[in-house]
Amino acid sequence: MRNRTFILLLLLSVLSWTPASGLAQEGHPLTGSWTGDWGPSPTERSNITLVMEWEGEKIGGFVLLGATSVPIVAVAVNVADWTVRLEAKGKDAKGNAIDVAADGRLENIGSAHRTLTGTWSQGTAKGDFKITRD
Amino acid sequence: MMRVLAASLSMLLLLVAPLPAHHSHSATYDGERQVTLQGVVTRIEWVNPHAYLFVDDAESDGTVTNWAVEVGRPFDLERAGWTNTSLKVGEVVSVRGVPARSQSKRAFGASITRVSDKQQLFVVPAAKPGAQAKKEPTPRWPDGQVRLGPRPGEKGFWGRASAVGMVENKAGDIRMNGDALLFDLADADRVAPFRPWSRALYLFRQRNLLVDDPLSRCLAPGGPRQFQGAYGFQFVEQRELKRILVLLGGENRNWHPIFMDGRKLNTEELAASPTYYGTSSGRWEKDTLVVETTGFNERFWLGNGGLPSTTALRLTERFSRPDYATLRYEVTVDDARAYTRPWTAAWTVEWVPDREIQEYFCEENAETTFIR
Repeated sequence: MRNRTFILLLLLSVLSWTPASGLAQEGHPLTGSWTGDWGPSPTERSNITLVMEWEGEKIGGFVLLGATSVPIVAVAVNVADWTVRLEAKGKDAKGNAIDVAADGRLENIGSAHRTLTGTWSQGTAKGDFKITRD
Repeated sequence: MMRVLAASLSMLLLLVAPLPAHHSHSATYDGERQVTLQGVVTRIEWVNPHAYLFVDDAESDGTVTNWAVEVGRPFDLERAGWTNTSLKVGEVVSVRGVPARSQSKRAFGASITRVSDKQQLFVVPAAKPGAQAKKEPTPRWPDGQVRLGPRPGEKGFWGRASAVGMVENKAGDIRMNGDALLFDLADADRVAPFRPWSRALYLFRQRNLLVDDPLSRCLAPGGPRQFQGAYGFQFVEQRELKRILVLLGGENRNWHPIFMDGRKLNTEELAASPTYYGTSSGRWEKDTLVVETTGFNERFWLGNGGLPSTTALRLTERFSRPDYATLRYEVTVDDARAYTRPWTAAWTVEWVPDREIQEYFCEENAETTFIR
């Protein structure tokens, strides 16, 4: 468990050092690392990082909530309007269930720094989110 | 005097020679409008990827505006007999062209005429397929193997491709402009067997006039696109080292090896460190060079026009040289994440004899150097 936490902290550290310029990503618009925040109000925000990657012929990945990694279990993209639904399920360090669901829309998909904005729910808490591809 | 006509002149862009370039011509210039200028040439920039004239255009109220007029690739112009001294600073020209979409005083010169003698300048005849081909036999090494480069003591490289865009062989005729923009977006379904997301992304890029083309950011043309570039390529066959180097003329003058030592491609290992050109292993099957490549990243467009691919991409390329002046290229795209099945595209590339590839570095392009 300590090793896993160390790896996650290391990953967060690496992600935080990602150059602002970002890298081009011309394949699936969702793949890559995304950072941003969510919260129930403009003043109550929590940082979030999503890493989405190919898992076979599907998009998977994980959500980083602090030092907790929550696997993304479902990704659905409506390419007609680039709306996205994400679901992530896991457990925190104390073994409590974490259920995340996000519904958003991809914008500026031609840019390396495309964005995904929408609504976020985590357990009983609900709010909005905005993440930008690094 | 400058005049911008709002008439529908979209066909004007089709009349000028296709201009595969580091930037999308369609995204830069507004083919729906036309501009006419007349004035003194103040400066000539004979640079790759496009030469420019700067013309002081005087309005009827006496206002003088300096316009940058793009006139084409120096390589094409020089092949047609034009040089950077064909027109001199101080001479007066009239220009009919296509203005930039932005508010910048910039235009693509469809017709440039010197006023003093009415001579039309910088006219490049339309390329005639096979015109260079003298139907000389395929050059070979002493052991009979096909040569992919020039004969000993000669110069030359592979130049313009017969196809602007990349489409599946069985698609039939699909009309597109010099940037590989479809005339009819309904043809997208015939271009390739897209997955829904890759089709939507391809159409997004088409509707967006390819403005996000990674080449416009000086990124490498990985995959088949490297063989559709405007600046040519050549093969350096290092038989003693069991490899063939592919040298690209344009963009950042990239190169990459095709290993001819019979190595097997470890897909999982290569996927861990993907690259623009992947890792290639080649072999000769009689007179055809067959190259398998995998280990690609997702930072390039597969072909002109905005075809996407993923890290699952695996290419099988077949190069043959049926005569001295023709390279036949065939590529099978296998990328189950982006396409529903493997598909094959093909085109030919013409040999440019007696010339070397011109130097061109993408970062020195006009937009970042002398067009403000």
